[in-house]
Amino acid sequence: MTDTTNNKSGLNRRMFLKTGAAAAGLVAGSGAITGFPTIWAQNIKNVTLRQFGTGVSNLNDVANKVKEDLGFTLQMTALDSDAVTQRAVTQPDSYDIADIEYWIAKKVFPAGVMQPMDVAKMKYFDKIAPLFVTGKLTPDSKIAQGTAPHTVGFVESADSIKFAKEPTKWMTLIPTIYNADTLGIRPDLVGRDINSWADIMDPAFKGKASILNIPSIGIMDAAMICESMGTIKYGDKGNMTKAEIDQTIAFLIKAKTDGQFRSFWKTFDESVNLMASGEVVIQSMWSPAVAAVRSKGIACKYQPLKEGYRAWGGGLGLAKHLSGIELDAAYEYINWYLSGWVGAYLNRQGYYSAAPETAKKFMTADEWGYWMEGKAATGDIVAPDGKVMEKVGAVRDGGAFEARMGAVACWNSVMDEDRYMVRKWNEFIAA
Amino acid sequence: MATAAADNGLTISSNKSGKPAAKTRRGLTSPIVSYLQAMPLVLILGLFLLLPILTIAMVSFWDYDSVRIYPDFVTFNYTETLGSWVTWKIYLNTFKFTVIVWLLTMFIGFWVAYFLAFHIRSTTMQIVLFLVCTVPFLTSNIIRMISWVPFLGRNGLINSSLIQLGIVPKPLEFLLFSEFAVVLAMVHLYTLFMVTPIFNTLMRIDRSLVEAARDAGASGFQILTNVIIPLAKPGIAIGSIFVVTLVMGDFITVRFMSGGQSASVGLMMSNQISLLQYPAAAANAVILLIVVLLIVAAILRVVDIRKEL
Amino acid sequence: MHPEKRSREFYVLAFFFTLFVLFLYGPLSTIFILSFQGPSGGLTFPMNGTSLHWFRNLFEQQAVGDFGGSFRRSMVLGLMTTTITVIVSLLAGLAFRRKFRGSTFLFYLAISSLVIPSILISLGIGLFFQVLGIRPAWWSSGLGAHLTWTLPFGVLIMFAVFNRFSPAYEEAARDLGATPWQTFRYVVLPMIAPSLIGVGLFGFTLSYDEFARTLMTAGTFNTLPLEIYGMTTNVTTPVLYALGTVTTVFSFLIILVALTAIIIVGRRRARIG
Repeated sequence: MTDTTNNKSGLNRRMFLKTGAAAAGLVAGSGAITGFPTIWAQNIKNVTLRQFGTGVSNLNDVANKVKEDLGFTLQMTALDSDAVTQRAVTQPDSYDIADIEYWIAKKVFPAGVMQPMDVAKMKYFDKIAPLFVTGKLTPDSKIAQGTAPHTVGFVESADSIKFAKEPTKWMTLIPTIYNADTLGIRPDLVGRDINSWADIMDPAFKGKASILNIPSIGIMDAAMICESMGTIKYGDKGNMTKAEIDQTIAFLIKAKTDGQFRSFWKTFDESVNLMASGEVVIQSMWSPAVAAVRSKGIACKYQPLKEGYRAWGGGLGLAKHLSGIELDAAYEYINWYLSGWVGAYLNRQGYYSAAPETAKKFMTADEWGYWMEGKAATGDIVAPDGKVMEKVGAVRDGGAFEARMGAVACWNSVMDEDRYMVRKWNEFIAA
Repeated sequence: MATAAADNGLTISSNKSGKPAAKTRRGLTSPIVSYLQAMPLVLILGLFLLLPILTIAMVSFWDYDSVRIYPDFVTFNYTETLGSWVTWKIYLNTFKFTVIVWLLTMFIGFWVAYFLAFHIRSTTMQIVLFLVCTVPFLTSNIIRMISWVPFLGRNGLINSSLIQLGIVPKPLEFLLFSEFAVVLAMVHLYTLFMVTPIFNTLMRIDRSLVEAARDAGASGFQILTNVIIPLAKPGIAIGSIFVVTLVMGDFITVRFMSGGQSASVGLMMSNQISLLQYPAAAANAVILLIVVLLIVAAILRVVDIRKEL
Repeated sequence: MHPEKRSREFYVLAFFFTLFVLFLYGPLSTIFILSFQGPSGGLTFPMNGTSLHWFRNLFEQQAVGDFGGSFRRSMVLGLMTTTITVIVSLLAGLAFRRKFRGSTFLFYLAISSLVIPSILISLGIGLFFQVLGIRPAWWSSGLGAHLTWTLPFGVLIMFAVFNRFSPAYEEAARDLGATPWQTFRYVVLPMIAPSLIGVGLFGFTLSYDEFARTLMTAGTFNTLPLEIYGMTTNVTTPVLYALGTVTTVFSFLIILVALTAIIIVGRRRARIG
């Protein structure tokens, strides 16, 4: 990210967008209130905050609960992951709270459309998993490759857009959700044990495999595959050199022309449909997608692999124009978000909460045991919508939280050679 | 008379040729009226099209890194794009889709329009049949795209019917996530764009011309090639413009139906946009715009719909 | 009226037309069948029982997104787009009947509007609004983006219409002493009315389903296609198909009602006449 400070200071997106933001800030700022708590409580009820993000966490249930617990209105807009990035950068006026992933934040935050958050105002800062602060799951664990959340989690000061190397008082996003991704398989159709990323290239799965077509994530899956096959040795999978990108893409092109892949998917539902319809038997997949296939009565396993997981994390960020009572409401929302109810809700969907300790209070011992500790369920495991997800005795694929998040090989990332990578990715799709 | 129009699309159309006096008589509408009438179109296109295009053209010369764009005057967005074999291959691929889809939609579109115009006699019935053709498009394209999977897929409706009927022993894989699927979906989406303008021109053909040709002893085939098709040319040309431009700019159909295995110019751009590489996408857009305008100009050279006004 | 008997050509073409319609409805058939999935069914085969569960679910709150609000926005936007498209295309069609300075440029501009990939128009307008400091919204920037899509279609169709429109009718009217407005209102308009309906229909269908152009111009709130696409990042239930089935059935009902109305009015007129 050092190149963001180079001296090509000119009109950039930030300046492009600043005018609008400033105007909005002025309006909101003039309404700043210093009055009595009772008036305050009344006023905050009139606040409406607009949040956008992918469907992963922009849940109506959360908005309903906010209304109930905090009294103000939260308007949720769900978009696909491409649109999220673009809206975050090009339309900062259209939202108050951005629900984005860390690797997207690496692109969005330096555009100057968001404001860092004051750690002092966060009630549950000390409850946030250390993964997002120091980057270490446990004090002696190794930091995985790629854009690890803590590397873009802090900036140097309140008006800085430069990411800090060490934790500071100013956070870019408050972490909310994260997970470790791996390959999903149809155990009834693969007909053998799967234990390595390399298995997706097995000729037996010719025309029945799939990977993601989101370049910055797909290339990571490809890198996991190449590395495990021993084809390529990477210095850092999350920040490849041009030569490494060339080799990876050449490998993908070969696999594609050999007909290894049935399809490349881009949205959540595509991955579910590919798997549920039997078009594909092994593919890179997201945890709730596996759950969605399983809920249709079709066998599907989120297979842990010996090389480890590819992880991702998301969080909430504040738009630059927020101020006054709206900013206060936003902080209240953030504190509420980390206080446990949402955490438990996310845990129950197979994601992880950024403040596990608080989430625990909102979960039953059985739920906690199944989702977080890798224990066999002692009763039915129920999804937030009341549907039975797993029966008694089921054990989560990959086991306990520490086992899964402790085995992360790399994080979703934005590389320095980002521009080159996209060009090469287009070659791959065109080949 | 009809053959005269057929021989040369550039001549003024048949129904005007007999009325040279018309020009002077139309003096009632002064140019000012024309300007006033065109004004709303000018305003809307100026604001929402011209300015954005100019912005795009400007940005295509800017520099960028992974987070920002910088005003500058660099040409590498163009040299990188034009100097790469990928671009050429993708353009070739896009042209391939365009030609195939164009030919298919033209063939299907013409006969559908012909049937509606010449064989369906009541206007009400024509409207009804048109509406029937439009209804599938009221269901969101995204839902329709998803529904191709259970329709064409390995265990889909088509394959399971074919297997049950004993026509094929195992599922046909090429039906989905292939170039075949892309062409099929495009023909599905775009044929109506061909039907509508052709239908419009066919409706305006003076039926007595057809009668006259028949009386003169022309066979059905001769009537078709010497009378109807030449007179339908403007409609075919407009339909072709619709279809060609739609296919050239498409990215959703290509991505969905090929399962991301095939590329088009639009898809290349949308990949760049999704990673915030706006200048590269803008350069691509400028090139695409020039290419497509050249194609449209070529179509208009064959059938100049403007001169036939 | 053509009194001759239906020829073989008619039957061949009728068969061809039927095939075409079946082709159009092909993917809709899976939508229709799968919308009756059982409560734990998915978006693909196999069927997991049958039920009306998803139709009920359509009117309940989803985990993500909001059908009602986005549907309302899309309808209003569609109607706004349709109205403006019909009026502006008609005026432009009239204007283009004579050559005026800049008409060729305007014509090519309209063509460019078709050509430029929607996603870039979207981006261009989005950025443009930001520069001006105006908040993008579906009814302002979104409407503009949709118009750049529907207007070229409308204008080109109007071209095709006036292209073969003989001035003889207008001259006759004028010779009989009609004012230009009367000529337009009572001669030109009735003749081109079906085409105007066509333009309107086209405009509505295009706008109602436009995705890429709305992407960067919709502002805070989603239109229906955006909402559905956003929902595919989480929802994988046949509720999407239920929406498709309801839309189709509803459209047919409207057509049926309109048709009956036309027939009744026609009969009444025939009786009076």
